[in-house]
Amino acid sequence: MSGAEGDAGDAEGAGDAEGAAVRTRGLTKRFRSGQVGVDGVDLLVPRGAVYGFLGPNGSGKTTTIRMLLGLVSPTAGSVELLGTAMPGGGAEVLPRVGALVEGPAFHPYLSGEANLRRLDAADPTSAPGSRTRRIGAALERVGLTAAAGKRYRQYSLGMKQRLGLAAALLRPRDLLLLDEPTNGLDPQGTREVRALVREVADAGATVLVSSHLLSEIEQVCSHVGIMSRGTLLAQGPREEIADEGTTEVRVMTRPDQRAHAVRVLSGLGLDGARADGEVVAAPLGSVAVEKVAQAVVGDGIDLLGLEVRRPTLEDVFVRLTGEGFDVAR
Amino acid sequence: MSLVDSPPAGPPVSSARATARLLGSELRLVFGRVRNIVLLVGLAAVPLLIGTVLFVTQDTPVAGQGPPFLDRVTGNGVFLVFAALVSCLPFLLPLCVSIVSGDAVAGEASAGTLRYLLVVPVPRTRLLLVKAVAALAYAAAAVTAIAGVGLVAGAAFFGVGDVVLLSGDTIPLAEGMLRTLGVVGYVVASLTGLVAVGLFLSTLTEVPVAAMAATVVVAIVSGVLDALPQLSAIHPALLTHHWLDFGEFLRLEVDASTLFAGLAVQAAWVAVFGALAWSRFTTADVSS
Amino acid sequence: MDTTRSLSPRARWAVPAVVAGAVAAAFAVPATMGAVASDELPAVTADELVERLAVAEKVPVSGTVVYTARLGLPDVTVSEIQGAGPLDLLGGSSTVRVWSDGEDSSRAALLGEVSEYSVVRDGPEAWTYSSADDEAVHYVVDPADLERYEALAQEGAEPPVDGDVPTPSEAAGLALAYARTTTDVTTTEPVEVAGRAAYQLEMRPQTDGTLVDRVLVAVDAETSVPLRTQVWSVQDAESPAIEVGFTDVSFDAPDLSVFDFSAPAGADVREVEVPLPEPGTLEQPSSDALGKDAGVAVSGTGWETVVELSDVDVDEILGATSEGRLPEGSTGSSGADDLFEELTESEDGELPGLPELDTQALYEQLTTEVDGGRLLTSALLSVLVTDDGRVLAGAVPPATLEELAG
Ligand SMILES: Nc1ncnc2c1ncn2[C@@H]1O[C@H](COP(=O)(O)OP(=O)(O)OP(=O)(O)O)[C@@H](O)[C@H]1O
Ligand SMILES: [Mg+2]
Repeated sequence: MSGAEGDAGDAEGAGDAEGAAVRTRGLTKRFRSGQVGVDGVDLLVPRGAVYGFLGPNGSGKTTTIRMLLGLVSPTAGSVELLGTAMPGGGAEVLPRVGALVEGPAFHPYLSGEANLRRLDAADPTSAPGSRTRRIGAALERVGLTAAAGKRYRQYSLGMKQRLGLAAALLRPRDLLLLDEPTNGLDPQGTREVRALVREVADAGATVLVSSHLLSEIEQVCSHVGIMSRGTLLAQGPREEIADEGTTEVRVMTRPDQRAHAVRVLSGLGLDGARADGEVVAAPLGSVAVEKVAQAVVGDGIDLLGLEVRRPTLEDVFVRLTGEGFDVAR
Repeated sequence: MSLVDSPPAGPPVSSARATARLLGSELRLVFGRVRNIVLLVGLAAVPLLIGTVLFVTQDTPVAGQGPPFLDRVTGNGVFLVFAALVSCLPFLLPLCVSIVSGDAVAGEASAGTLRYLLVVPVPRTRLLLVKAVAALAYAAAAVTAIAGVGLVAGAAFFGVGDVVLLSGDTIPLAEGMLRTLGVVGYVVASLTGLVAVGLFLSTLTEVPVAAMAATVVVAIVSGVLDALPQLSAIHPALLTHHWLDFGEFLRLEVDASTLFAGLAVQAAWVAVFGALAWSRFTTADVSS
Repeated sequence: MDTTRSLSPRARWAVPAVVAGAVAAAFAVPATMGAVASDELPAVTADELVERLAVAEKVPVSGTVVYTARLGLPDVTVSEIQGAGPLDLLGGSSTVRVWSDGEDSSRAALLGEVSEYSVVRDGPEAWTYSSADDEAVHYVVDPADLERYEALAQEGAEPPVDGDVPTPSEAAGLALAYARTTTDVTTTEPVEVAGRAAYQLEMRPQTDGTLVDRVLVAVDAETSVPLRTQVWSVQDAESPAIEVGFTDVSFDAPDLSVFDFSAPAGADVREVEVPLPEPGTLEQPSSDALGKDAGVAVSGTGWETVVELSDVDVDEILGATSEGRLPEGSTGSSGADDLFEELTESEDGELPGLPELDTQALYEQLTTEVDGGRLLTSALLSVLVTDDGRVLAGAVPPATLEELAG
């Protein structure tokens, strides 16, 4: 596997032509409690990418995004958004950045539409003339038109999340930073968010989506970064990361023949062959899969099934971040 | 490479325009909030209540007792304005001002809306300024509500006439109205220091109630210290010490230096706590 | 917005520190800035100064006078509840606005928080007005005496008004009266009062038997108007026991409408006709008001004067406030007299501003129980009321009184 640094180096070479959408160097946040929430993160999100920002609970994703946006000042390190240094260039670059940070937040006693109006009025670069139209379009896009006049307090969790997305999409954006955008959404909503992300990316914008639920974003992202305990363990194009894993061959046979099968596979030079529940599995390595089939059948074992399992992101994720359920810190 | 194919929004407007626009939005927020409206109505009810009580009891032996100006009201409704202001100054007005100014930043932080305002982006200095002006506007509205309702209720209950000053001299009603305006202006200006304190405390916490309570406590403690003769050396610098100096407008010759002394103390509190609020707010991590 | 980001956090926290410093400086500077060149005044001797005071022409004066008493009395400041009134003068600090045309018209307003007690003199008539109880008292000279008043007015005499408000001039007058007794009179370095250069007289009693340590009178170098009088007690070397002085003064003639007072509509008005005292009786104590058989004895001289009143019915005075008025000059020493008057004062009516004050309670609050009576001690005055109906008062230590009382 290539580590975060190696990948960063590669991607930097690739991104030089256009510059990265997000670039951090040695980004570190030590809280006043002394805890280090983010530790020396070198994030690199190429332009046009859909970047899956993965990590278990408490791994520092939200803190990193806050530092990207200038909400939290880094203890050390630097941030560049769309080629502009943050937080100094915030006034210039943030209008081009849509963000959803740690869930939506709006004034509960205002309607969804009034909340968007307030945000738009706060934006010195937005055109008041097109405000109503833009707000209508953003609400439409997230399917909230019907509930536009309802007080935010009365919104369901999913509706709140959608309003947060609408706020991020109030204006044309070059970069979207979405922290857990599917949190609280129904499967339908989750699918819509994925579609939205794809649509936005197709239009040329860069999207960074953070999640601790891998399956939700695996399908849409072109790049992946994996956080754990405040450090970035790996990042790069999704296939490269996934290839870090090992392809496995899985042989299905009768229970009484499994020990035999393990011996056969070991005999082929497949280290680590083992009975794994109802199958016998081994890392494929450089051995051709047809050789395995022939050897098994040739040795008189009843071959009930044969599977070659390509590595998934989840395998990599779990291997890098550990299986444990408890939060790291 | 924009996400929507509509042309990018207009060019950045001037900083002053942007501030004005945000202020408009902020004022709508403050004055549209039910809680704040209820507080205003409650304040406005004070002169109404006093007027009603005085009207009912005016021929009984208890008439004419109570805080300053109360005994003048039945003779001239204008004094209902002053009686109501004197009644509201020790607690009710500071309470309302504390609620709005303490809520200013902490309320947005606790709702989480602060982070979204900041990434819009709204420069923190501008946001703080707008919050301060809106809180001050609310304070002005509160004082004006008391004075306005006091004047109307006073006129309705007791009629208005030439104003007898504290010195015993009588001035025409028109001049009396001018001086009443001066009183309103001075009382509003007297509250600016408290607004600044509330704003600063509001930047310290994400719990709005804590900021509000702390601000009220500051006002009340200031009043208590002001009542301790042992501390007479620090009295002139206290936040609340000059609040009742609005009485200067009801003396024979309005002494500008007395008024300036009070205003200068408020300006000092505004400068110090405004600077503290600014330092705190522009350096703090927004982690709500 | 860039400026907010261009300062480091530490630099940003320096801003309030700088602001606080600037504010402190801004409040400190005016105190030192208005300094006038009081040290460039030509030197004068004490005698010259006393002489100047005596012959000085009366000029119009207006301004703000602050009166501070640190008499060491229990706090009886009641202006918060009662509105401004002369009793405020017993303790703490009071502000008085004064206007005078330099002749026979003057006005003084004792300022309460949102109240005022005014004394307006305009020739032969005078008003007092208390805003707290909306009560005006109108003093007019007895019509029979009016002619004689006109004559007296030429000499600068004024009809007596009760519940008077102190001004530096009056206080200086009292002090000069002392100067004629056993006192060392010198001058100090010139001082600055209310932004004006002033000479200062220092009067020290020659005896140790009094509570008065020294009296300082600051006199405006230009107009010879007394600007400030301080009375220092032997008990407190830090600050004067009584200080009355201008904080702000102008010698421009005030607008004459200031002296033009009439009772406001709706106020309670009391008319009082003041007979002019017969010539020569001005300083004679009258014992009428002190109970039927009150007698007056004076022992000691000068600063050590002790006045003893016998057969005084204290309860009667405290109870029947409408009768018990101590006439001016009855203690023989005008400073003590004034204080005594303020403590027990009750006009032919009520104490202005204090209609509901419980005099008995006040009496008990101010005095302490001693062997054979009750004692009032203050920085400048001691008063002993014995159980057998005698009252001893003087600017002397309490022990002197107890000794005299036997
Ligand atoms: N304001 C703060 N003060 C102290 N510690 C903090 C603060 N905010 C976050 N942390 C700590 O920093 C670490 C990273 O938190 P962060 O919110 O960035 O995690 P996350 O990756 O977003 O987790 P999740 O998936 O649960 O949202 C956590 O251990 C958290 O306890
Ligand atoms: Mg998070």
